Amino acid sequence: MLGLIKKDLLMSRNTLKLYLIIFVFYIFLALNGNDSLSFIPPFVSILLMFSTFSYDNYNKFECFALSFPNGRRNLVLSKYLATIILIIGTTIITIIASLLIGIFNNTINYQETFLTFFYTIMFSIIFLAIIYPFIFKFGIEKARIIIFILIFGLSFLIGALFNSIDTNFLTNALNFLYYNYLLLPIIVIVLLIASYLLSKHFYLKKEF
Amino acid sequence: MKNVIEIKDLIKKYDEFTLKVNMDIPSGLIIGLIGENGAGKTTLIKCILNIINNYKGEIKIFNLDNKKDSLKEEIGVVLDNSFFPEILKVKDIDTIMKSIYQKWDSKLFFKYLQDFQLPNDKTLKELSKGMLKKLEIATALSHHPKLLILDEPTSGLDPVVRSEVLEIFQNFISDEDHSIILSTHITSDLEHIADRIIFIDNGSIVSNLEYNEILDNYGILKCDSKTFEKLDKSDIIKYKKNKYNYEVLVNNKTKVKKKYKDIVIDKITLEDFMVLMIKGGNE
Repeated sequence: MLGLIKKDLLMSRNTLKLYLIIFVFYIFLALNGNDSLSFIPPFVSILLMFSTFSYDNYNKFECFALSFPNGRRNLVLSKYLATIILIIGTTIITIIASLLIGIFNNTINYQETFLTFFYTIMFSIIFLAIIYPFIFKFGIEKARIIIFILIFGLSFLIGALFNSIDTNFLTNALNFLYYNYLLLPIIVIVLLIASYLLSKHFYLKKEF
Repeated sequence: MKNVIEIKDLIKKYDEFTLKVNMDIPSGLIIGLIGENGAGKTTLIKCILNIINNYKGEIKIFNLDNKKDSLKEEIGVVLDNSFFPEILKVKDIDTIMKSIYQKWDSKLFFKYLQDFQLPNDKTLKELSKGMLKKLEIATALSHHPKLLILDEPTSGLDPVVRSEVLEIFQNFISDEDHSIILSTHITSDLEHIADRIIFIDNGSIVSNLEYNEILDNYGILKCDSKTFEKLDKSDIIKYKKNKYNYEVLVNNKTKVKKKYKDIVIDKITLEDFMVLMIKGGNE
C-alpha cells in the first residue's frame, strides 16, 4: 500500500512545485495584509488528489493495480491516506509560513493560528469523507458532477437554514464545537472510518 | 505434468456476451491464447487475475484459489492499455514497486531499462508506444514472477521490437518453473514460441491443442466444387468457398490424403486455422 501512496505523492510532485510558487507569491501578498492562508492546503490537496483520480482513470491504472498483491483494498486505503498526508503536509508548511508572517507583521496569535488550521483540516477531512465514496462508486468523472451538485446543494441548504432557524441555535452549536474541540476529531475519525468502509464496500464489488 | 492454472466451470455473464470456460493449463510452457477481438481473451485474463471478481466457478493458480492475494507476488502482468499514469517518470516505477512487491529487484529493473535503452528521467507520456510496452514488460519481470500473464503484449510494436520482446519471453521460459500465458490476435507472434494454443471464440474455448499437433495434424485441402461435393462430410471440419475453389480445414491430414487421391493438402498456419475456425462454414 505504501507503494500506492508513494505513487499519488509522486504524481502530485509537479503540481506541488507550482503550489509552492503560488504560495510564495501569496506570502508576499499576506505580508501586507491580514489574509488567512489556512484554506490553501486542504483546497490544494483535494484538487491534487482529484487529478490523481483523473490520471488513474485516463491511463486505466486501476485495472493494472488490481493485479498487485492486495490491490483492491490497498487502492482505496491508499487514496485516503495519501490525501490526509497531503493535507497535513501542506498545512504544516502553511502554518510555518503563517507564523513567520505573524512574527514579521507583529500580529502573531498562536492559539488563533493553530485553531484556524485545526478547523480547516477537520472540515476538509469531513469533505473528503463525504465525497470519496461517490468517487469509488461512480468513478471520478461522474463523481465530479455529483460533487458540484453536492456543494451547491449544501451551500443552498446552509443558507436556507441560516434564514429559517433561530441563528442563536446555530451560533450556539458552532460555539459548542469550538469550545469542545476534542469532540470534533472524534466525529471526524468516525466519519472517516465509515466513509472508508463504504468506499471499500463499493470498490470490492466494482467491475473492471 | 503440473498445472499452473485450473479453471472449473467458469461463467461470466454480460448483457450480450457470456464467457464459459473449463480448462487446465499445464506449467512450464508458453501458452498462446488466440481469438478475435471481443472473443473473451481479456475477460478470461481478468477473471484469472481476479480483476473481475463476480463470476461463477473456480479458478486455481499454483493450486491455490486465485482470490488469495499473496499469489500475486508470483505473477507478472502486462495488460492491454492499462499501466501507470503517464505523468510518472520511468524511474518512479522502481520507487513505487519496491513497496508493492516483496521480491522487487531494483537492480534487475534498471538492467532491463538499460538493455531496452529506456530513459530513466522521462515521463511515460514522452515514451513511444514500443518503449512503453518494453517498460511494461520490464516492470512485469522485475519481481521475479513464476507466471507471466500478458494481454496483447506485442500489439503496436514494430517487427524489430517485437522480436526482441519475444526473445525475452523465450529466455524467461528457459527456467522450467516458469510459465507464460500470452493473448494475442497477431497469430504470427506465436508461431515460433508457443507450446500450446488455446483458441477462444465467442466466449468459449473452441480448441486447446499443442502447437505442433495443429501443424502436424491439420491441413488445408484445396479443391474445386466437384471434388468438394465428393468429400466425406465427416472429414470437413470447416470450409471456405473462394471464387474458384474451396478451402477445407481437415484434421488427420495423412489419413485424408490417403483417402482421396489427387488432392492437395497445404500446410496450415495459425492464422489460417483461426480464420477458418471462425469464419468457415460447417457441413
